[in-house]
Amino acid sequence: MLKRLHFYWRIWLLWATNAFQATFVNRGTNAIFLIAKLARFGMSLVFLLLLRQNIDSFAQYSTDELVVFFLIYQWIDLFSQSVFRGVYKFGQLVRNGEFDFDLLKPIHPLFRALMGSPDINDVLLILPTIGVSIWILSFLEVSITLGSVLGFSVLALNGLLIATALHICVLSLAIITTDIDSMVWLYRDLSRLGQFPVTMYMELVRFSLFFLVPIGMMITIPAEVLLNIEPSQAIWVTLVIGGGFFAASIALWNWSLKRYTSASS
Amino acid sequence: MSKYIQLFSLYWQNGLVYRTNLILWRFRQFLSALMALTVWSVVFTGQEQVFGYDTGGMIAYVFIASFLQSLVLATALHGLAQRVYSGEVSMLLTKPINFFGTLAIEDLADKSRNILFIFVEMGLLYLLFMPTIPLPGLQTWLIFGLLASMGAVLHFIISLLFGTLGFFSPETWGPKFLFFVIVDFTAGKLFPLDILPEVVQKILFLTPFPYFSFVQTQVFLEKYTQPELLNHILVLAGWLIGLSVLNSWLWKKGMREYTAAGH
Repeated sequence: MLKRLHFYWRIWLLWATNAFQATFVNRGTNAIFLIAKLARFGMSLVFLLLLRQNIDSFAQYSTDELVVFFLIYQWIDLFSQSVFRGVYKFGQLVRNGEFDFDLLKPIHPLFRALMGSPDINDVLLILPTIGVSIWILSFLEVSITLGSVLGFSVLALNGLLIATALHICVLSLAIITTDIDSMVWLYRDLSRLGQFPVTMYMELVRFSLFFLVPIGMMITIPAEVLLNIEPSQAIWVTLVIGGGFFAASIALWNWSLKRYTSASS
Repeated sequence: MSKYIQLFSLYWQNGLVYRTNLILWRFRQFLSALMALTVWSVVFTGQEQVFGYDTGGMIAYVFIASFLQSLVLATALHGLAQRVYSGEVSMLLTKPINFFGTLAIEDLADKSRNILFIFVEMGLLYLLFMPTIPLPGLQTWLIFGLLASMGAVLHFIISLLFGTLGFFSPETWGPKFLFFVIVDFTAGKLFPLDILPEVVQKILFLTPFPYFSFVQTQVFLEKYTQPELLNHILVLAGWLIGLSVLNSWLWKKGMREYTAAGH
């Protein structure tokens, strides 16, 4: 098992190195992408800090807590974009038949589809984002303890598991039908709803974001635990949803792979 | 004229080939408006006045800005630079039709398709949030219509400008992505620009971004005096003329370098 993990780790490192070199081929464009992503992060923070100055509370949360919700959204979103960028191009590979080549290789096709194209721009953003986040957290009046950090760490991992599951669902749907290039962008927009605590939305949306597309379990619950706020859903429910969703996404992938017709080859 | 009507019909049908994508795209716009309206509804549950707006004023602002952005920023020309770089535009250039006229028809067909969805989405959002939207007089409606149309033309010209990138580089998505990010915040969908510090507003008004929907929304809500209105109309007209001249120059320059790669 460890040998196999090491094998996949070496392959991923090779892909990451290739992606890193490709980034430096198109330096200008990638610099613009990096600036744009920093600008988006900065402008979101400016808006939240403006809210912080002008309102006392937001739903049942303080405005300082609201900023923490956004930071956690940013971390989880950034990580999943760094690693799962290949998902954005997968529909094209299915349509033109290039996915056939991945099926012939002695590595798991899901691993290739999911993690084959890491986004170096987002990897480069991780350090500045963490630095800015720590600086912001240093002046916010929030209750974070060692226990809450530990609880958060477990739930953040669960959140990453959910993010992985959602990306696998997008990949599976790309195999089943070619008419859904927007699906991964829909996921991005749904996860963007998690910039704010999902408990603020109306009942139907809130339920959907906790149980159908569990963005709430991915972002809101870890944030609540980090802030020592009573979580909106029980922690065991969050973990069951995380594990269950991941298992279901793998089953969906296996099912859809059997229906791959290699249409363009 | 009839050939352009035929083109309109073709582009309209072409956009309906991938119907799921179209529906998902509209659903994404709906989600974005839903988030903005929910955020402000929650903000105003705790206080009556924030940033000089009351609940009704802010919800009406976000509602109208969402409607306008869906209309003004909808375009079929996102991939124009790629079409130029790949040589795909050669097919248009060799036909006995006006090149920019054809692109305008393509854009118009896209906007018309979106309009159908916009009314459904707005109806749904109206039922969910029940905003009290003060309806202005006829004169304001006319000015609003004029500025909204000018905003759509402004976005069309900027889309053409991004298309010229394809003449000079295969890497066309970086600048466009930066533009999307800036528009996302500065066109005023999530929040009105007048909540920002004075100095930031002044800088933003040196750019075309507030003229995509913020200014039009303020006109609809009758926030401007007559001289301010005239000033905004003149500035927007200035942007249209200036960018049209730049666009024309860049396309001519690009066409001289165009090699119809791959064709």
